[in-house]
Amino acid sequence: MSAAERSPGLAARPLAVLPPLILLGLLAALPLLNLGANSVKVLFLTFVSIAASVGWNILGGFAGQVSFGFAVFYGLGAYTTAVGINEGLNPYLTYPLAGAVAALASLLVGLPTFRLRGPYFAIATIGVSEATRVVMTNLEFTGGASGYRITEHVPFRQLEHYFTGLMLAALAVGLSIIVRRSRFGLGLRAIRDDQDAAADSGVNPYALKLGAHAIAAALTAAAGGVYARYAAFIDPEGVFGFPRGVGILLMPVIGGVNTIWGPVIGGGVYGVIEEELVARFPQLHLLLYGVLVMLIILFEPGGVVGLLQRTRRFVLRRREASWQPS
Amino acid sequence: MVWGISLAVEAGSVACLIGPNGAGKSTTLNAVIGALPVKGGQILLQGSDVTREKAHRRVRRRIALIPEGRQLWQRMTVEENLLLGAFPKNLRRSAASFLERVYTMFPRLKERRHQAAGTLSGGEQQMCAVGRGLMADPLLLMLDEPSLGLAPRIVDEIFDLVRTIAQQGVTILLAAQNANYALSVSRYGYVMESGRIALEGPSERLRADDHVRQAYLGA
Repeated sequence: MSAAERSPGLAARPLAVLPPLILLGLLAALPLLNLGANSVKVLFLTFVSIAASVGWNILGGFAGQVSFGFAVFYGLGAYTTAVGINEGLNPYLTYPLAGAVAALASLLVGLPTFRLRGPYFAIATIGVSEATRVVMTNLEFTGGASGYRITEHVPFRQLEHYFTGLMLAALAVGLSIIVRRSRFGLGLRAIRDDQDAAADSGVNPYALKLGAHAIAAALTAAAGGVYARYAAFIDPEGVFGFPRGVGILLMPVIGGVNTIWGPVIGGGVYGVIEEELVARFPQLHLLLYGVLVMLIILFEPGGVVGLLQRTRRFVLRRREASWQPS
Repeated sequence: MVWGISLAVEAGSVACLIGPNGAGKSTTLNAVIGALPVKGGQILLQGSDVTREKAHRRVRRRIALIPEGRQLWQRMTVEENLLLGAFPKNLRRSAASFLERVYTMFPRLKERRHQAAGTLSGGEQQMCAVGRGLMADPLLLMLDEPSLGLAPRIVDEIFDLVRTIAQQGVTILLAAQNANYALSVSRYGYVMESGRIALEGPSERLRADDHVRQAYLGA
């Protein structure tokens, strides 16, 4: 049994909070190095991805409900922030608003779809996602398919975006840790492993799934909002498109679902992969994602975190074996 | 599928359901906890009708089922499994004291509380399942084939355990193919055959019944 599988309380490992805090400090200090605008942009986009990835994992990982429909929440968040800013709201007020709109939407989506289980739920979320995209493409007041522009009468400061993204990612990770350690999180894991047994133990699967969906949707929407303000222009194809939903799912799968750090690693890795793949294979990148997912599920369902754990066990065993007097 | 079942468990007593494989014992218990739908009739707990309540709500009324094959969350630790037994809000507040009580009863579980439940031995897993049931502080505790797949020595332990729990005032409904044991720990028994109750009566009387002796006690 590895320490990670035993998941003792924070009190048992007070030092466990140190590495993440050091990482956060380093990332906060990074702009002091005078990075180029492009590096800051890549890091910013990575933080946004991480927030969405960590959000998705609360439903898809902890509760085991795989959704292809998170573009709905990302897009709703993006549009809420965009409209909010144009209507004169403080940008920082639009993010919680985006979260609230998406949480509400998540209930509308979840109430019918959580009657379904496993692959049927996953398929239903594809339908919801595509339907939302079509509606947004035809919605006149946001400009329909031609997109929506955000006009802000303040100078563009890239570092402000950088810190907003970093804070959001840190908030997402913090929330994910809290959920994981809570009784609510325990209930989600029980549902993931055996929903019927969970119900027999007094867990209300429907209510808990709706709760996880709402938290996940709110985080994803906040990510969409933060992205929208940076991009200053959004369109339905970009934020509501199916590839967006697949991307949000892919990050935690790459990094390792149902873990705290997997979705973070996945978000980081994905940012880089996407940049490269889209640039080299503009037509083929979705196909390559598909192949990647198949490879991961076939050979290392635990993603990067699973691979690291396996490697660590392997090394430990080798070391033990070499200590044995022959 | 079971038909026209009528059974009552007197508060504070042990009743048992015996009968062959497929007679409907598990079905009956699952209907009482709410995992299976009831097409007709009523389920009353201390006089209140719970027939239309979902399983997770019935647990709040302190009914617990220890299912056949134990159904532990294999990848979760012993302690997490136990805590899930006291998941509903009204039980959560007292979860810590229930946990202490279960650990006092099963020191083995305390030793292994951070171990994944799937790594326990069969007997320990059954203890963990019983412990999880007790975490709900049940008024009615149902056990479905608690001795399934366990060594004879462990089976003795499990039935001793049922007696101990009953002495603490918990009402118990026990379903078992092992009629000999079931009738020895219970006060009243029901014999199920192909989805119906074929025979019922005080356990002592059933033990003496010719049909029961021939079919279930091997005498």
